[in-house]
Amino acid sequence: MTYALVRPRYLSLDAFAAAAGLHPELVARLAALGLLEPSVDARGIRWFRAADLAVAARIHRLHTGLPLNYAAIGVVLDLLDRIDELEATLRRRSWISTD
Amino acid sequence: MADGTDFYEVLGVPRDADAEQIQRAYRTLARRHHPDVNKSPGAEDRFKKINEAYAVLSDPKSRRKYDRFGEAWRQVPDDYEQAGARAGARAGGGGAGFGSFGGFGGPREYSSRAGGGIDVEDLLESLYGRRSGRARGYGPSPGADTEAEITISVEDAYHGVRRRITLPDPNGQPRQYDVNIPAGVTEGQRIRLAGQGSSGAGGGPPGDLYLVVHLAPHPRYHVEGRDIIVDLPVAPWEAALGATAPLETPGGAVQVRVPTGSSCGRRLRLRGRGLPNPRGNPGDLFVTVKIVVPTRLPEEERRLFEQLAKVSSFEPRGAS
Repeated sequence: MTYALVRPRYLSLDAFAAAAGLHPELVARLAALGLLEPSVDARGIRWFRAADLAVAARIHRLHTGLPLNYAAIGVVLDLLDRIDELEATLRRRSWISTD
Repeated sequence: MADGTDFYEVLGVPRDADAEQIQRAYRTLARRHHPDVNKSPGAEDRFKKINEAYAVLSDPKSRRKYDRFGEAWRQVPDDYEQAGARAGARAGGGGAGFGSFGGFGGPREYSSRAGGGIDVEDLLESLYGRRSGRARGYGPSPGADTEAEITISVEDAYHGVRRRITLPDPNGQPRQYDVNIPAGVTEGQRIRLAGQGSSGAGGGPPGDLYLVVHLAPHPRYHVEGRDIIVDLPVAPWEAALGATAPLETPGGAVQVRVPTGSSCGRRLRLRGRGLPNPRGNPGDLFVTVKIVVPTRLPEEERRLFEQLAKVSSFEPRGAS
């Protein structure tokens, strides 16, 4: 698991969409599918993490490059995250066994 | 783009391959080299070439042209055979003609999908998609991050080092990177070279290149996190009586005081003598006492040891 050390920067749906170069409808759709996970404040407004712009870009690449539908992309994103985590653990462990 | 590379070779199919064979080869390669799946720095270039090759070979018309004219096929006007055939081929492409084909996603995908059932996503995107020339409703998007490995010695990790490494750049050309590895990197740490990853699409910023640091196994130092563990060989009498022994460490030679009555395996800590930490406390150096004895004793020493054995009441295996 990773924990953010700095307070993440949040963007409104429109600002996020503009920064990602996506239509707000599409951002809303990605959120509805659980591919982006905005936090909802007391007034019910969704706030997107600026760091998730990279996720949006990855979704775009997977969608156009492979091509995958958005449901499949959810699985791929989860798997890629898990692989990243496992590889990081493996790297940390590898030196213990080398000696 | 595909300078001197044959599209059939890129996809690894024979020149007489049928459409299904080409598609199968493309799908397999695309999966393997997609920049989000394959993090090696050359993957993006490979992926682009695979897409370009497939875009050409999957369309019977452009494939015919490619077969006939080879690399120069692009310069051949569409109507070299008969005029008017071009309108049909481009209809569904959302403006993504071959001339504007840019990196990600082949225009083939778009038109082949539009032929089948209506995809709501595509419909949405085509409704809201802005500028032409981009097949989908996405704007500029940043490139994927790439990852490569670098192995350095424990000493270099301690002092920091400047390294020159050669990696394929986003266009597949070998490129040299001068990397400053800061003092105090640890195993598995990632060094970020901002903007050196895969190039972005549609004017988006490029991703980052991460160098994953590996510490080469060292004959003497064993590193755990920022702590360095090193053996200190001592003579039996040094261990029993206590001694001050010189020890080579990554930070230079130090004198280690071995306390009286140190058994083999005793750990002495030299605080802050491990790998430095740019953001906080440095690691520690742990010295493991290792008692070594001469393989062959001179006569006099042997006599003294025998005398010691006789006199000593020490019971190393406890009272049992």
